[in-house]
Amino acid sequence: MSAHLDEFLIDVKPQKEWGWLVITYLFLGGAGAGLFLASLYISHPWGEALGLLLLVVGTLFLMLDLGRPERFWRAFFRARTSWISRGCFFISALVLLGAIHVLVELNVWDAGSWALLIQIGAATAAVAVMIYTGFVLAPSPAIPFWNSTFFPVIFFVYSLLAGIDFLILASPILPAPAIDIAHLEKVQFGLVLLCLLLVLSHLSVMSGSAVAARKSIQLLTRGRWAMLFLGGVIGVGLVVPLLFAWPFLWQTSFQTVFAITAVLALLRLFGDYLFRFLVIRAGHYDPLL
Amino acid sequence: MARYGMVIDLNICIGCNACTMACKAEHATPPGVFYSKVLEKEVGKYPAARRVFLPVLCNHCQNPACEEVCPTGATQKRDDGIVTIDHDLCIGCRSCMEACPYGARTFHKHEATYYFNEKTPFEEMKQDFPDGIVMKCNFCAERVDEGLDPACVQTCPTECRVFGDLDDPQSEVSRIVAEKKARPLLPDKGLEPSVFYVGA
Repeated sequence: MSAHLDEFLIDVKPQKEWGWLVITYLFLGGAGAGLFLASLYISHPWGEALGLLLLVVGTLFLMLDLGRPERFWRAFFRARTSWISRGCFFISALVLLGAIHVLVELNVWDAGSWALLIQIGAATAAVAVMIYTGFVLAPSPAIPFWNSTFFPVIFFVYSLLAGIDFLILASPILPAPAIDIAHLEKVQFGLVLLCLLLVLSHLSVMSGSAVAARKSIQLLTRGRWAMLFLGGVIGVGLVVPLLFAWPFLWQTSFQTVFAITAVLALLRLFGDYLFRFLVIRAGHYDPLL
Repeated sequence: MARYGMVIDLNICIGCNACTMACKAEHATPPGVFYSKVLEKEVGKYPAARRVFLPVLCNHCQNPACEEVCPTGATQKRDDGIVTIDHDLCIGCRSCMEACPYGARTFHKHEATYYFNEKTPFEEMKQDFPDGIVMKCNFCAERVDEGLDPACVQTCPTECRVFGDLDDPQSEVSRIVAEKKARPLLPDKGLEPSVFYVGA
């Protein structure tokens, strides 16, 4: 009896290869680079150092996810085509230039006329680390939900958001200079709005895409992950911080501002991790078989 | 240079899985790893219900997404179109598995590489791969280099699989593809697979 190929178009299949180790790297790596960039902007070397630490810890999670972690160095060999390979260079450049910049800022080392170049190089590497993970996902021909130009931008904004949140939370224990938390919270207000706009735009574009992408959207909005996505990512991570932040934006008392922004920062970080978790877990292959 | 490919006639396949077993014997793949397998499904309703079979393997795409995303160069396309994995270079990042729309690759985890209590002498001799890497069909490149057909093609009792040079219009595989209007899986992905199916 002859078979027709269409008879094997059974259903979409979820990706299961990348799990919490990769998700944690996406979160910590992005947040670390974001924290470094934000700290660089306000010239806070200790914030920069904390950002580099987060990035290194995140990268350890990524290495633990490898089947052969001891061969990690081989991932530097295909930067011509592979975004993972390019990411290895971005991370290395950020850690190296970032560490030098911290030493320069702390007056441990005098870089002379190289200081500006090091600063520009470190900032560029930080932006690249925040963005490249979006490019790892976006070209995927197999998983249509990831196949979107929105991801590099969304990952950049979420990384900056998370980086500033870590800066807010660490501000009481970081050595001088003092950090203007009220100002940072105003920046976060704009970034949260931007995140909301980008995430909803991505969902809107994907809802008219391939069948596997529509399945991902269905899972996130009406299916298994709806509670986590709508309640956690959109509600707790973005809408609640938006609603509760603005009455406090013009408070001048440090204790009041820190108390409220710390809570909001924790909510946003929770939403960020959840967003990256759901983006990875909601990825589905097109129905082949 | 030849461009190797395969055509599988679904009208002839009886779903016996001889190809699956020949492949496992050729490559001594561990439990859970199948370079070649036969998917089966029941379609229709009683009394018209029937089972259909779809043999699947790596499609050896001419624009392999797996090769592009591989950060180490472990996945490579040879000049003859066969896509291979160098097990000594693979770091097990599985980005190739996320890029392959055919699900043709398997991650060989840190688990037993043998079926019974210990490795058989055959497994000792044949298994030259470490764990923690990605594995897939290589069109039996070691056999092809000696002028032989892949094990699945040679063993198929119904001769539903034909292997050969897709660039040669006179080859049997090219003629079957042209005459029987064979088509690949997911052609809209733009990967230009080298495995075609008759009976679609």
